[in-house]
Amino acid sequence: MYDAPNLAENKVTQDKIKIAARKVQVYYGDTHAIKDVDVDILDNTVTAFIGPSGCGKSTFLRCINRMNDTIDICRVEGDILLDGQDIYDKRVDPVQLRAKVGMVFQKPNPFPKSIYDNVAYGPRIHGLARTKADLDEIVEKSLRRAALWNEAKDRLEQPGTGLSGGQQQRLCIARAVATAPEVLLMDEPCSALDPIATAQVEELIDELRQDYSVVIVTHSMQQAARVSQKTAFFHLGNLVEYGDTGTIFTNPEDERTESYITGRIG
Amino acid sequence: MTDATLNTGGDRPGTSLATQDARTKRRNRAEARFKAYGLTAILIGIFFLVVLAVSIIRSGSPAFTRTIVGVEFTITQPQIDAAEGELFKTKAYQTLFIDALKQQLDARGMEMKFDEDSIERLLGKVGSTLREYYQANPDQIGTPVSFELAASSRVDGYLNGRLTRDSVKDSRFLMAADLDLVDALQEADIVRSSFNWTFITGADSGVDNPGGAGIGASVVGSFFMMLVVLVLSLPIGVAASIYLEEFAPQNKFTDLIEVNISNLAAVPSIVFGILGLAVFIQFAHLPQSAPLVGGLVLTLMTLPTIIISTRASLRAVPPSIRDAALGVGASKMQSVFHHVLPLAMPGILTGTIIGLAQALGETAPLLLIGMVGFVARGYPDGVVSGFMDPNSAMPAQIYTWAARADPSFYEKAWGGIIVLLVFLLTMNIIAIILRRRFERRW
Repeated sequence: MYDAPNLAENKVTQDKIKIAARKVQVYYGDTHAIKDVDVDILDNTVTAFIGPSGCGKSTFLRCINRMNDTIDICRVEGDILLDGQDIYDKRVDPVQLRAKVGMVFQKPNPFPKSIYDNVAYGPRIHGLARTKADLDEIVEKSLRRAALWNEAKDRLEQPGTGLSGGQQQRLCIARAVATAPEVLLMDEPCSALDPIATAQVEELIDELRQDYSVVIVTHSMQQAARVSQKTAFFHLGNLVEYGDTGTIFTNPEDERTESYITGRIG
Repeated sequence: MTDATLNTGGDRPGTSLATQDARTKRRNRAEARFKAYGLTAILIGIFFLVVLAVSIIRSGSPAFTRTIVGVEFTITQPQIDAAEGELFKTKAYQTLFIDALKQQLDARGMEMKFDEDSIERLLGKVGSTLREYYQANPDQIGTPVSFELAASSRVDGYLNGRLTRDSVKDSRFLMAADLDLVDALQEADIVRSSFNWTFITGADSGVDNPGGAGIGASVVGSFFMMLVVLVLSLPIGVAASIYLEEFAPQNKFTDLIEVNISNLAAVPSIVFGILGLAVFIQFAHLPQSAPLVGGLVLTLMTLPTIIISTRASLRAVPPSIRDAALGVGASKMQSVFHHVLPLAMPGILTGTIIGLAQALGETAPLLLIGMVGFVARGYPDGVVSGFMDPNSAMPAQIYTWAARADPSFYEKAWGGIIVLLVFLLTMNIIAIILRRRFERRW
């Protein structure tokens, strides 16, 4: 079994823990999808979850903003603490939580509305802007953060669904950052994109690290190596190994990790 | 079949791509056959549609015209005074009218012999019409007035070919000899056809007066019912669907509800009629024959249709949209009302219009709550005023006319069907326009 890393010995010890998961179990009906996962996700860090399909990495990601609540048969046990506060506490409203923990999905899923409305939707429902000028500013800032402003500024009123795949995904990132989250969860954000768009999004992820704690699920080990500082390897619902990205890819402790990154399983 | 086996031998020629092997030929033939079946089916459908449309229009169009006898007529003050002095005043007016008509025929060089009775058979009580007119408009005395008098429905029938000289049996309604007069009047251009506004705006008449029967009152009745159905079934149906589809937990209870909704959609409409009679009229004491009750009954009938189609279109909205909304921190309700519902709106509208069209054509439940066999008195006051007054509906009115013995009503029934179809078409066009508007928003 994997032992939680001793953070005192890690390179990034000065960073504070943003999310701490302890003994997390997830069940889909009778299926035990996530087994005993303990992990500490740091602030201002990109953490990559890797592992073969069906290993539970996306499931675990969706636990962090309680998106699994929408699935009737899904049950989560254990503690996930955001800044020391249990997000599965009865008093926690998942809607408030999701404003703090934004999410970008595998398939770009802009709303069938204008680019402006896509980005403005979050701030509007959370009441982040008091005037139209405030809202304009948030939209511009978010689109700039997502490196989409230059392409989109002249066509803000056009539908977001009319953008190319890569632009749509950056629009979704802009939409996620518009609500000023603290954590950004990304579920295979580049799997539907071409290499150029992927490179743009990866560059963006690196920039986003300045302000957010970013967790990214990816199937591409090259991508994990390129963008992340910490990597967690999942296999069959277990967190097999978690540590600095460099260590995981060059000197894995567990045999299964080595098999996976060298392409023997997965 | 051995399609899946990788047998490179067998009937694969393996030579030229230009020659078709037996299997390819067979497949192509099957495809051509299937296309032919489909085309045949569509042609048969079109054929029947054309036959239906032609026969409806041919049988129904006479209901929209009526025969008018146009007579220019001048009456002087002494003539009025003389007529008012008589014992049978209207008779005196009628004599004046007959004289005028004779003069006009004479002026055209046609000499006809006819008496008061034949005028009465052809035009009804002319004298009282004239007297009422001059009493209402005394300033018209002494000036020429052109009167347009509606001929009886049998004259209509004779002119549009429903009755022939041979098929007319002498009766108190029409004598074969009267037809000579009709022919002469037609030749003299005194008899002509005009559009029958009474049919469009009027209410049903008694069995002995097909000429005065109109569908207007029941159009109003149907309109009120559709209003009730729309106002009740759309919000209730959509709310129920959203709850069942988006919020309700999946358990035995919701499964049971789902099965029951599907079954309700297949319940014969007359059952809803008897339910309406028992609940709305006998228990809740709502008035009989009222469009409100009819609308309530049809709402019950329409709800399952709307719920089923609304749920289907909600389910067709991609889950990624819901995820996207929840992901930026929208509540469940915000995600449904801001994103899912607008996307499902075109489908909901389609379901609603199907439900409404079904309700519009429904007759059986209306028979049970008394919205049939209604003859207006004091039209339009007693009819148009609202949801609680007795009225009929278009399909029930058509049913009533079709059941009457006089063949003139048969014509009215077909005409009523045309009006019903026009009403339906209008509803559909409105729905299509609304759907376009919703679709254009993204």
